[in-house]
Amino acid sequence: MSPHVPSMLVRLAERGATGALIRDTGALYLADGAVVHAESPAAPGIDVLLTADGRLPSEQWREAMDAAGPHCRIARYLLDHGRLSGAELEIRHLSALYDAAYFVLAPDGGPSRFRHGAVHWFGRVRPVGVADVERESRRRRRYLTDLWPHAHLDAVPPVRRRHAARLPPVPRRQQDVLDLADGRHTPALIAAKLGRPAFHTLVDIRRLAASGHLETRTSPPPGPGHAEAAGPGAVAAGAPRGAAVRRLPFPFPDTAEDVDVVVLRRLRDALEAHL
Amino acid sequence: MSGIDECLLEAMRLPGARGAALVEWVSGLALGVVGEAPGGDHEVMAAEAAEFARGAAEMPVFTGPGGPAAEQEPADAKALPVEDVIVVARTGYHLLRFLEAPYEGGVFLHLWLDRGQANLALSLMRMRDLAERLVLE
Repeated sequence: MSPHVPSMLVRLAERGATGALIRDTGALYLADGAVVHAESPAAPGIDVLLTADGRLPSEQWREAMDAAGPHCRIARYLLDHGRLSGAELEIRHLSALYDAAYFVLAPDGGPSRFRHGAVHWFGRVRPVGVADVERESRRRRRYLTDLWPHAHLDAVPPVRRRHAARLPPVPRRQQDVLDLADGRHTPALIAAKLGRPAFHTLVDIRRLAASGHLETRTSPPPGPGHAEAAGPGAVAAGAPRGAAVRRLPFPFPDTAEDVDVVVLRRLRDALEAHL
Repeated sequence: MSGIDECLLEAMRLPGARGAALVEWVSGLALGVVGEAPGGDHEVMAAEAAEFARGAAEMPVFTGPGGPAAEQEPADAKALPVEDVIVVARTGYHLLRFLEAPYEGGVFLHLWLDRGQANLALSLMRMRDLAERLVLE
């Protein structure tokens, strides 16, 4: 976390501020100094999380949006109309809040600014202390590192390992993620497709990489010269499992455990361009 | 029942109850806690219980002869393979009750009881009832 974000949040909390802390990685909404919502492009929104598994039919969600969205009281509407129990709404909302907050408070999330008075359209459910949100985000970062200390896996599209078929099967939740690991879907996209919190997908990806089902040293997003090989059209629908892997050969020896793959690859591209 | 805290406070009314928590097991997030935690740290308790719950919910040896839910009848796909986990420790009981909502995050209730005062059968029944009402009422 960049050093000024926690202190800024603490000041805002002490002042009982209401508004949105906005960064490149998303926004944290405060009401009277407590966190009431968070959203991030890296994490599925509360709408996706509520409707994806069929818990809330999309029509009911749209109806709530139309009726209560303009008044920023969707949570209240869902409760009053018996769409969800109070506890279930709290569970799902807290899950979404901490999920997005993890990305908003990322160490490399860029500068922060505060928009006073901004209110999120979902409405207040169960406000959380700023300190709790920061502590949980730090715990989550440690948790991922303890699982498998390769942070670049959080951003690049996961790629299956070629010989993983011989490994023991994985639990259903992880298998769902593995099925979408085709070298094109980013972790954020996988989370959105599965309708699961994005952090949960990061956990599954780290576990799958640690158990050898996914490549740990995955290629960076294709740069100039690689676009054709790794482009979306390159992987035909129904292609054999190994196809995507073969198209993204990793050019470095296995011993290079801690190298910054992106930097090395750019360096190689630059050198080749001069040959 | 109106929210997480009310549910946890109701669990705490059971004889011998020392602490209760609602935990998301994939992330280890404590969604709510009341009472004491073994070792005094609710966050650590939630993270450790979550790891344990994950093992019970995902390991094929516990999830039954039909294998993981995905291999069973479609109607059954969302059903929980494991409903409760009971740990009988030297001085206490730990009851974990998974929530039945078709909820991808995976959530369980955790109740810590004093072994000398608690009634295990009664506690188990009340936890089932609480977990059911939590998502219905």
